[in-house]
Amino acid sequence: MKNNTIVLGIGNIGRQDDGLGWLFLDFLKEVGFENIDVEYRYQLQIEDAELICKYKTVIFIDATKENIKNGYYYRICEPSDKYSFSTHELVPETILFLANNLYDHDPKAFIFGIKGYEWNLEIGLSKKAKDNFNKAKKYFSALMNPSLVES
Amino acid sequence: MNNKIVIDPVTRVEGHGKVTIHLDEKNKVKDSFFHIVEFRGFERFIQGHPYWEAPVLVQRLCGICPVSHHLAAAKAIDQIVGLDPEDLSIPTQKIRKLLHFGQIFQSHALHFFYLASPDLLFGSDAAPSKRNVVGVAIEHPELAKKGILMRKFGQEIIKMIAGKRIHGISATPGGVHKKVSVKERDYFLNGKEIPSIDTMIEWSREIIDFIKIYHDKNKKWLDEFADYPSGHLGLVDKKTGFLELYDGNLRAIDAFGNKTLDDVPNDDYQQYFYENVEKWTYLKFPYLKHLGKEKGWNRVGPLARLNVCEGISTTQAELERLEYFKATQGKTNNKTMYSHWARLIEILHCAEMMKSLLEDDDIVSNDLIRRGERRKEGIGIIEAPRGTLMHHYEVDDKDRITRCNLIVSTTHNNEPMNQAVNWVANNVLNEKPEITEGMLNQVEVAIRAYDPCLSCATHALGQMPLEISLYDHSGDIIDVKRN
Repeated sequence: MKNNTIVLGIGNIGRQDDGLGWLFLDFLKEVGFENIDVEYRYQLQIEDAELICKYKTVIFIDATKENIKNGYYYRICEPSDKYSFSTHELVPETILFLANNLYDHDPKAFIFGIKGYEWNLEIGLSKKAKDNFNKAKKYFSALMNPSLVES
Repeated sequence: MNNKIVIDPVTRVEGHGKVTIHLDEKNKVKDSFFHIVEFRGFERFIQGHPYWEAPVLVQRLCGICPVSHHLAAAKAIDQIVGLDPEDLSIPTQKIRKLLHFGQIFQSHALHFFYLASPDLLFGSDAAPSKRNVVGVAIEHPELAKKGILMRKFGQEIIKMIAGKRIHGISATPGGVHKKVSVKERDYFLNGKEIPSIDTMIEWSREIIDFIKIYHDKNKKWLDEFADYPSGHLGLVDKKTGFLELYDGNLRAIDAFGNKTLDDVPNDDYQQYFYENVEKWTYLKFPYLKHLGKEKGWNRVGPLARLNVCEGISTTQAELERLEYFKATQGKTNNKTMYSHWARLIEILHCAEMMKSLLEDDDIVSNDLIRRGERRKEGIGIIEAPRGTLMHHYEVDDKDRITRCNLIVSTTHNNEPMNQAVNWVANNVLNEKPEITEGMLNQVEVAIRAYDPCLSCATHALGQMPLEISLYDHSGDIIDVKRN
């Protein structure tokens, strides 16, 4: 284990606001939070169950279409054995379930969702997604290191 | 009045497809179709881009086998800079092959452990909630863990050479952009951080033992299910006629083993292939021109590759091939469910090849780039995990791509998959008073044996489900399976 925490950013920067997860990882690398490793994903894969076993804490960051008041949410992620139709759609809960079941590993896990609005074949966030992105950055900074938050 | 079944989406395949089955008043099957319902058109939008961008752009066709598209395009672009495959430096050829074997190894592991094994372990009639990789993880954790680590091994090989596990870059016109370092290759050989290549070979053998026992126990079903005559197409080694995955001649045989395409060089493919279009699917239907569209279609992929080749160049895989052909007394195998066994033999072959290449000092050499005389056209054909993959580009004097033609593995398998659906419709669903979920899953089992990548095949973008629809004799949908 290199660090205590791994952040898995899910998305695609070629699809406008779907790039929120990856852009957030860029932000984490830029700030240089201690004890955090990052991994970029188009979608989660089953072998991510093995990867997260090296960490005490896992955070999944993704764009969301969910209607959220603040433009982002940060929730506890619980293991679940629900399974979708293909390898293209594995949810964080299933990855946690597999980590539990196959490797007897039960990390603290969270889902950080940031609301997006536009999903076309373009690079760059929509204005509203940018606003949410900035709010999410501020929140996460406070979470990781309160001293970094601007007053 | 007509009955109609719809299965939409077909599950545990890579892509979005739909099956419709039409019944008459007595539930007798009248017709069946496997539709691909996505479209994007990579061939079109790559036009105007500089040729050296092709290997980078076209790999975005797929998140499962981007390396195959990357390397097929790279082979074509090599020709544009004046180099045929044998003109590349030896280290480049070996590094590209190592990348390619890593890709096939991980893709086959993904298919067998995650997509196909639930059907084999639990049966078609098991509850869908159990018949998936989570069910495998619960009831067969050691198998699931090996599957994860085998796929990871292949992906780590890709990452070492291409920088990333998905959509990395290795090939440049006439070469590769980096060698392998001694430290990098030792990671795969010494087994300190991940299970070693020797462990991969051992596990590959174990899983072949599993499938052989499974065949012994389920011989009747595996021998009869979706057994239908077809042509078979694949690359073979130019000198020996052995299994060839990176560069070889095109060989096709009919259902009885007679050659229908006799070791044709890649550059001549256009003389022999034509693609038919049907209005009910975005996926084309390739066939051999001289045989016509009714008789000229071919299966591609592991089953076809073992059928067309005369041997395998690695020791253990060759022994397994010989045992595999005992089931058909050495004759051409047209039994769809043998695809899984064939795929596992290829896993073993890839593992043996990776060991050989990892232990070869050529891959740590700096001799990586060659240059030739500029051409206006390039053709690259390789064996992707799912079968024969063809890339063809033409460029103008300003280095811009003016034409692109891609014939993707799953496109070759379009007619074979439709035949498989038709077989299940006629042999499992026909005239049954009630259509059960387990029966409908058998349609998917037949399609899944081909490991189709439907988004690759239509060069499409989007979600990846598949649907089966059952229509009654009045044209109303009486059952839809959609996951």
